[in-house]
Amino acid sequence: MISPIHIITLTLGTAFFIGLLKKLNLNISALLMLVAIAAAGTISASWFTAILSGAANAEVFTAGFNPPYSINLLMGKGEALITLLINLAGFLGGVYLLKSLKERGIYTMIIYLVFIMSLNVIVMTRDIFNLFVFMEVASIGIAGLVILDKSSKATQAGFKYLIATGVIAGILLIGIAFTYYFAGTLNIDVIQQASIINFKAGSIAVFLVIISIILELKPFPANGWGIDVYEGANPGIGAMISAASASAMLFVLYKLAVLVPESFLQIITAIGILTFVGSNLMGIKQSNANRLLGYSSIGQIGLLTAIVGLKPFLGAQFELIAVSILISHFFAKAGLFWLSGIVKKQNLKDWAMLRQKPYLLVLFGIFIFALIGFPPFPSFLGKWELIMKLAHSHHFYILAFILIGSFLEGIYLFRWLGFSIKMEDANLPPLTVHWNKIIPVVLSALGVLGSGIYFGTITEIAASLKYIPLLFIALLYVIDFLPVYVKNTVSIAGIGYYLYTIYPDLEGFKLIFGLIFLAGGMLTLVAGYFKTGTRKGFYPLVMLMFAGLVGLIEAHTTFEFFFAWELMTAGSYFLIIRGKKSMTHALSYMLFSLAGAYLILAGFGLAHIGQSSYALDILASVQSFAPLVFILLAIGFMTKTASVGLHIWLPGAHAEAETDVSPMVSAILLKAGVFGLILLMLNMGSQFIGSFNIYYALAWIGAITAVMGNMMAAFQEDAKRLLAYSSVGFLGYILFGLSFMSHLGWLAAVSLSVVHFMFKTLLFLAIGGIVYRVKTKEMYKMGGLIKKMPFTFISVLMGIIVIAGVPPLTGFGGKWILYNAVLEKGWFFPSALVFFAGIVAFLYCFRLIHTVFLGQLKDEHREVKEAPFWLLLPQYMILMVIMLFSALPNSLLKPIGAMLAPIFPEGALEWQGQLAKSGFGYWNGQVIMYIVGGIFVVVFAWLWYMNRNAQKVKQFNIGYSAERPSLPETTHFAYNFFAPYKKALGFLVSPLITNFWDSASEGVHAISDKVRRIYNGNVQTYAFHILAFIVVVYLIIF
Amino acid sequence: MEYISMITGFLLVLLGLWGVLTQKNIIKIIIGFSIFDTGLHIVLVSIAYLRGGTAPVIDKAVKVTEAIEKVVDPVPHALVLTAIVIGLGVTALMLVYALKLYQNKKTLEVQSFNDLKW
Amino acid sequence: MVRNSFRLIILVGLLVIFSTLVWSFNGNNELNSLAQFYTQQENIEAVNAANLVSAVVVTYRGFDTLGEVTILFLTASIIGFFLKKKLSDTQRKEVRESSDILVTASKILVPVMILFGVYVIINGHLTPGGGFQGGAIIASAMVLALLANPHMKFNHQLFNVLESISGVSFVLMGIAGIVYAGGFLDNRILPGGEVGTLISAGAIPLIYIFIGLKVGSELSNIVGNLQVTQNEQ
Repeated sequence: MISPIHIITLTLGTAFFIGLLKKLNLNISALLMLVAIAAAGTISASWFTAILSGAANAEVFTAGFNPPYSINLLMGKGEALITLLINLAGFLGGVYLLKSLKERGIYTMIIYLVFIMSLNVIVMTRDIFNLFVFMEVASIGIAGLVILDKSSKATQAGFKYLIATGVIAGILLIGIAFTYYFAGTLNIDVIQQASIINFKAGSIAVFLVIISIILELKPFPANGWGIDVYEGANPGIGAMISAASASAMLFVLYKLAVLVPESFLQIITAIGILTFVGSNLMGIKQSNANRLLGYSSIGQIGLLTAIVGLKPFLGAQFELIAVSILISHFFAKAGLFWLSGIVKKQNLKDWAMLRQKPYLLVLFGIFIFALIGFPPFPSFLGKWELIMKLAHSHHFYILAFILIGSFLEGIYLFRWLGFSIKMEDANLPPLTVHWNKIIPVVLSALGVLGSGIYFGTITEIAASLKYIPLLFIALLYVIDFLPVYVKNTVSIAGIGYYLYTIYPDLEGFKLIFGLIFLAGGMLTLVAGYFKTGTRKGFYPLVMLMFAGLVGLIEAHTTFEFFFAWELMTAGSYFLIIRGKKSMTHALSYMLFSLAGAYLILAGFGLAHIGQSSYALDILASVQSFAPLVFILLAIGFMTKTASVGLHIWLPGAHAEAETDVSPMVSAILLKAGVFGLILLMLNMGSQFIGSFNIYYALAWIGAITAVMGNMMAAFQEDAKRLLAYSSVGFLGYILFGLSFMSHLGWLAAVSLSVVHFMFKTLLFLAIGGIVYRVKTKEMYKMGGLIKKMPFTFISVLMGIIVIAGVPPLTGFGGKWILYNAVLEKGWFFPSALVFFAGIVAFLYCFRLIHTVFLGQLKDEHREVKEAPFWLLLPQYMILMVIMLFSALPNSLLKPIGAMLAPIFPEGALEWQGQLAKSGFGYWNGQVIMYIVGGIFVVVFAWLWYMNRNAQKVKQFNIGYSAERPSLPETTHFAYNFFAPYKKALGFLVSPLITNFWDSASEGVHAISDKVRRIYNGNVQTYAFHILAFIVVVYLIIF
Repeated sequence: MEYISMITGFLLVLLGLWGVLTQKNIIKIIIGFSIFDTGLHIVLVSIAYLRGGTAPVIDKAVKVTEAIEKVVDPVPHALVLTAIVIGLGVTALMLVYALKLYQNKKTLEVQSFNDLKW
Repeated sequence: MVRNSFRLIILVGLLVIFSTLVWSFNGNNELNSLAQFYTQQENIEAVNAANLVSAVVVTYRGFDTLGEVTILFLTASIIGFFLKKKLSDTQRKEVRESSDILVTASKILVPVMILFGVYVIINGHLTPGGGFQGGAIIASAMVLALLANPHMKFNHQLFNVLESISGVSFVLMGIAGIVYAGGFLDNRILPGGEVGTLISAGAIPLIYIFIGLKVGSELSNIVGNLQVTQNEQ
């Protein structure tokens, strides 16, 4: 093994040496620089692997005297890892900056090399004055690298940086001087034993040291100088500061944290959390890419600072948590800064340029998801463990603030991602990419992915995760160049095979929802054959969503469940954002999902208090805060079921989605929330706050959701939006049924879930087919399509009969059971609302069939053809199942009833053939089918007979009065179809909830804007912030 | 006696900071920083103070054998040497920055360099 | 002014912090264990430097000194590329000629100053002084020479080579310490000699010479670069 000291001799020697080459050759110098950093990295890596496999830590004694008499360096596990990261960043960053460095001459290479060297020393040294010296080397190095770009902004940023770090270093020096005075040594290990924190002056000395290190980490609000550097400097340098320099300083904080008492650690945690929340809050209003990355960097470092402060409470998991979050930040932030250098545009909206090179967009997405903490990236694991540990140690406020901060970060990162995927890029210049700039970005993406999977394999709770679906997704990426029909077939076969392998293990609810998710998925995928071309990037995303859905079914532990939940969210987000004009809808979907996921995470965290296992059924034995756990999880799941108040993402997302994606996200995805609720209710049972039954509140929410959803649906002009709102309403019924906690209630809810899947797929495909043909979603622009699209007409007709819950089709059965359940339960007020919702449903059903298919055919639709075969095929497959379930209702209801019997033994239906009996009456689906069928035939025959002599009128055989309307289409009968009802009841659907969320969002933005005004760009203000920060923290501690 | 140099040092530190915080001219800010730095060095050296001690150099006055009783602590002296050199480097760099800033905008007023903010 | 009063309040806060420190400071009655180690007879004789500060600077805390040298090197490099401008002599502004007194005095003083600088460097292990101090004196001589002759052209190339060679040598001496003595930058790679004589203290004088060369050439380079920039105004 090579001694760690040679990391320094090699890099520093090379730096001195290439000074000699000044006139010779820039290429040789650049090569030497990279070789030196690579060699340093190799030394770190060899020590890292050796120490991991059991070798002892390496100690370097300089000057031939033992510490504390001379300066010593330590190469332990942490040091090896951090120096490895630093040198890796140094190497990749060096490759990235190759052109700029060569352009500005050999001096810049020297500076770069010395900068990397100094970070290595900072990490390894055990002497605080030596630490000070090399921190100064690093600061001066950064001050030199900042001006790599000749802009005036860079110079200003560098000057502010110099003044700020100069002041901080001065404070540090005072701290070091007095630490030396009190402890009689400069060696960290000896200072630790000297126990100088036992008296006030001694602890002030340590305080000054620690606060200076914290200030170097750029804590909110004393960090304006740091953010200005991120904005002003070359992004390649920003990457180094954010990834390498910050990692080194964090390690220093970790190293020095042994010197301080626990009360300091709490302050460190508080500062970290404040920084995390504060800088993410300010990021929301930011439109400059580099500055935004600066805010995000500082936020992440704040989180890590807090983790260092929380070390005593994180126990054995500390390493995993800190390293996984650090590594995600490290690769993602370096990659993002480097991408920013490739894009060269500072306005976030201009990042739409990335679409010119789709692989850059993929890289961008990887980094964003890694930062937010989605699986399979390491930060996912880190965040999970962190939240669990915080809950365990009763740090509820910190837990809440971390989740709030993460959410704020999600707002701006996903908005940015949305810009890059969807923003107009008409006037943007072409994107040119050089090999040396792209290789580091690709490698960091691989780094964050690889480390995520590595962490997954070494962590106990993650060991049971299934990566097969993810591999399948990777395969789909590989074959992405193939035409649609091949990939569609592969996808259907993949899902089918997976269903086949897991089918024997499925039972009960898992079977029902497994079939909805997987069989339903296959069915909706069949519609995909109607697309031509390659449909780039579609299939991996679809599979990602289904992998998440099936993961929910298969999950045995809360961790697996959450993992799957996040995969599903990621996949569905991308599916939704593929739609037209879906940028804002995808964002609001993501934000609601993110908030929901964090509530679920918090709920699981609280549920784990006092439990040793992570199995899902611990929910049945929650020790403390059970009602709170229930509420958190329920709200979390309700973001997916789009219950009232949380529904505003849904209409846009579903309506703007692609033809065959709408059924996936509407008919299938929403069931994930239902499945979650079922799991929750099964395990936790009834919950009371005081004597108030939470389920009663759920019943109200369900009922209100049903009414609002249906009302909104009735007043829509857009057909797909109508269907979307109808889903909101229908999920309201399901929630309502579940809240009864009775056999009949659940029977209704589960069967309605199945039914909803069927008719919503049917209708979305049918309406999607129409929209595909007539190129509009506005219903008043359609009309008279019955003759042009008869097959579609039949599906829509059947679909609305099911929704409306009128006999003879299967929707009626569900309703009948629901009403029985109401009678049994006796919650009449919310039930009245649900009855009313049922009536409103008639309105939109009627509107859908009437305005689209009946009335006059529009002139421009004269040539419209029937919907494509591949869209019709799944519709008719569903129709057959609907007819089967309608004619033989016990084929669906009996198995569900049998499944519910062990849970709710009382109040089950009694079956006699197709005759169902409840305590209040009976119903025979088959007989009703015959009767209604008979009536239909009779009436139809009679009508046909009566109308045989009617005169056929051509469409344009009508006369207008003399008036000519200014906006002709608004006079169409289908426009504002239910105007009278709207007049009477419209106040109920005034967008109160949308307004609420809008003003919440505006409020957050306004606060963000207010807060960031403290950074007025003046170096003296920044210096003042630094000093004030010291004084304020001093006053808090002492 | 032992307080005089240390108090002077701290007063210079505060004086220097006052200059950094209030002066409008960049050169004056740098001078303020320089005073701050000098104050730090004085504080650092005064830590070495030993009652009745002499310079830590072996010569006719201090024999090798009696050094341990007679000399003041050599460590802060070594540290301050390093600190001075660092201060020199930082100050030189600040001045060069000031030169560049002046070349960019033909002014040394600190308020004119607020292009980066928020 | 409201602003200034805020600043004042904060500085008063700092004053409170500092006064606690000053209050707790009561000088030393005896050296702490670290300083005792450095001033023990056997350890003085091990390092063999009469100037104990030099022993600490170059040997015990030699690694700091390496960092220190690096800082100057870094600063010189940054200034080197920050101020880099190619300009022909015709662009140069006319500079007022220096006075006769300055020119004449510099002719006498510059060699003496350089000589003094060299003296300070090579006696660094014996008397107060050393590479940094001597190097700074040499650089001052350069400043004086420059003031006397504003048109003087520095031989940057020479300084650069000197700077690099002495830097590399410093690192190599350090490595030699690992190979031939107890560790990185151990001065005992050369025979110790007798305390208080010129040829003593192992490698300390040699290291100081390199440091002196390096510091002198770096500072001179900085001055030279500033001169070029100033002339171009």
